[in-house]
Amino acid sequence: MKSSMRAFCLGVALHVLGLAAASGVAAEADTRALDEQIQSIKQDVVALNRDLFVLEEELLFPANTQVAVFLSMDVGEFFALDTVELRLDDKQVSKYLYTPREAEALLKGGVQRLYLGNLRTGEHELVALFTGKGPNGQDYSRGAQLKFEKAVSAKYLELRISDQQRKAQPEFQIKDWE
Amino acid sequence: MRTAPWLLLAVCGLLASCAGKVKPETLPKTRVADLHYGDVLFQNFIGEDFEALTRLEAYQHWSLMPHHAAESQLLTGGMYLQLGMHNEAARRFESVLDSNVPAGIRNRAWFYLGKVWYARGYDDRAVDALSKINGALPSEMEPEKVQLLSNALMHLERYDDAARVLRDWRGDDAWTAYARFNLGVAMLRSNRIAEGAQLLDAVGQMRAADDELLALRDRANLALGYAWLQNQQPAQARSALERVRLDGAQSNRALLGLGWADVELNDYEAALTPWLTLHDRNLLDAAVQEAHLAVPYAFAKLGANDQAAQYYEQALTSFDQETARIDESIARIRQGSLLKNLLGDPQDEAPQRGWFWQLEELPDSPESRYLYPIFAGNDFQEGLKNYRDLGYLSSTLERWDENMIVYNDMIDARERAYAERTPRTDALLGSEAVSKLERRRKRLEDDFNAAVTSDDIAAFGTAEQRDQWRRIEKIESAIAANPNDPALAEAKDKLRLVRGALLWDLKQAQNERVYAKRRELKELDRALQEANSRWLRVQQARAIAPTTTGNFAQRIATLQQRLTALRASLAQAATDQQQLLSDIAINELQAQKQRIADYEVQARFALASIYDHAGEPSR
Repeated sequence: MKSSMRAFCLGVALHVLGLAAASGVAAEADTRALDEQIQSIKQDVVALNRDLFVLEEELLFPANTQVAVFLSMDVGEFFALDTVELRLDDKQVSKYLYTPREAEALLKGGVQRLYLGNLRTGEHELVALFTGKGPNGQDYSRGAQLKFEKAVSAKYLELRISDQQRKAQPEFQIKDWE
Repeated sequence: MRTAPWLLLAVCGLLASCAGKVKPETLPKTRVADLHYGDVLFQNFIGEDFEALTRLEAYQHWSLMPHHAAESQLLTGGMYLQLGMHNEAARRFESVLDSNVPAGIRNRAWFYLGKVWYARGYDDRAVDALSKINGALPSEMEPEKVQLLSNALMHLERYDDAARVLRDWRGDDAWTAYARFNLGVAMLRSNRIAEGAQLLDAVGQMRAADDELLALRDRANLALGYAWLQNQQPAQARSALERVRLDGAQSNRALLGLGWADVELNDYEAALTPWLTLHDRNLLDAAVQEAHLAVPYAFAKLGANDQAAQYYEQALTSFDQETARIDESIARIRQGSLLKNLLGDPQDEAPQRGWFWQLEELPDSPESRYLYPIFAGNDFQEGLKNYRDLGYLSSTLERWDENMIVYNDMIDARERAYAERTPRTDALLGSEAVSKLERRRKRLEDDFNAAVTSDDIAAFGTAEQRDQWRRIEKIESAIAANPNDPALAEAKDKLRLVRGALLWDLKQAQNERVYAKRRELKELDRALQEANSRWLRVQQARAIAPTTTGNFAQRIATLQQRLTALRASLAQAATDQQQLLSDIAINELQAQKQRIADYEVQARFALASIYDHAGEPSR
């Protein structure tokens, strides 16, 4: 009896020491084989997803008409972003409300592709309206505007929110990426 | 295919994706030179790993990130790693190392590669990769590197090297404690009891304030206690086991061990104290089941055979009930309840996926307690993550399948539009409509200038006035042809009066009408200019616009075939994974059932022995 008890003690100890195998060698081999197979399927899904994404964008937003508006934030000491509204040629094309997680992602250096659309060649106007909390936690809203020329290649515009240290105010700009 | 207790901590080292607990203002800022690279980071930072990977691959396909070539390869590898795709991750990291990249990026590539090899069980390669890191890593990666390296060395039984790595490293208390615990356990495994015990003793007596370290301290004391028990040093075992908290997760095992330490010291009465405490606890726990045998065993040793028999009877009843419950659990798992209980329903709405997802809360089902050891096991966790990922990927492909139908309709509509509009556009552009209008406008201007120059006063009159003027001129010609006809004298006077009146009217309105004509000409100019500009735009658009939908239809057809095939593969893999996980769980339950059956045999044997002795005539 004492020896069988001791054997159990050993079993418990193995668990305690993290050495006990929950499943046998055969189960482990099955797990590995299936894991390899699933990795391969996942890889196929990633490749297919990429091809679908490429097809979708090329079909819906061909380069000759594509316009993409990105948003970046630098520092964010004087402005906490709440919403951004985009107007292209006086027509609202996007209004985005930011979650804390998204605002944080921007502060970490992420750049959000806020809008993707189509525009014909020629002159256009982009207006961006930002709302949020400004210096001292006050409600704050500002706008930025840019007239730009859309050529036959894709057009990328960047809304930049940065801190103007000298004036202790946020600054809102639109950059045309040629 | 293994996990480590520090894995959750280590997650934060990868791509800063778990930085939610850190204040953004203190986070390292990534300087983005390509907007699309920034977009990938954004998706990654908000936890949309699969979307981030898709965009990264697509942007690489379009060459949209020329300034972040090496970093994007590193990021791709990191995201494959996050999604549990170690093989592809390793390939990406190796490709970074093949290129000429700065030391910082090279070091990170070696780090991730080491992590991949470690996860796949290639400890020698992991040690090799991690040893090639030259200089300091980013601060959040350094502790993880040390852990990976020391663990890999331990698996290779290079304990002295592992100890050296840990000794030379100055990390925070939690990391150090985990490292010492791992090393201590590894030493015990290799029968280096004294060294292992020293390490575990240090962890077992450390000052701990938070739950995590208190739990680790309990585990160290428990491991140490059982190690001493195995080495037949019950007094030392006792002092280690007594340090385990009574309300902690290791309490049951510690109480069982304490009783055994007392038995080894031949103090059966003392052994009853922890065992009776344990006896009243939940029978689902293996240590409690063991106590149901240990208590009557101690009573029997103390000569209290009636109590011993009573407890053995009680144990047999409990074991029967437990066996029935395990059978019920096995039946439920066979009906597919396991994954539903673990993951909830539907699985694809879970917010997080990937390699670092952990099952944090056990479901409130009877089998949870039985299966705790396998739930915590790496193979099961990996399988569970795979199953979740497969569900998510399947739902993603389902959405694409629906989109493909829409895109096919769109292609058809575009084909029809091209067929209808292209000939109309070509016919319009071939008609020279604007040039014709410009020529007509030129003629109008010439006529206007001629009228002004020649002072053709009637030209600016109304249609009626111009008609009247023509008639007067006609009559005047007729009179001029017969100047001496007396019958026309009166008519000549009347005509002069009418001509004068008409001329007066025309003169009165002339300036206004000339001005109005000029204005109309200007308006015509403006309209013509607009028409001209539109004409040019149509010409440009016609020059660049596709006249067909290109190969989109064919691409969609090919992708739809791939979608169908992959969705079938995903479904089959999910079924296989579910089956494998159920098999693992059922095997575990059957092992537990077998253990209870073994206990039952022991209990019956002991009971029979007691009754046997009771039946013997006293000597």
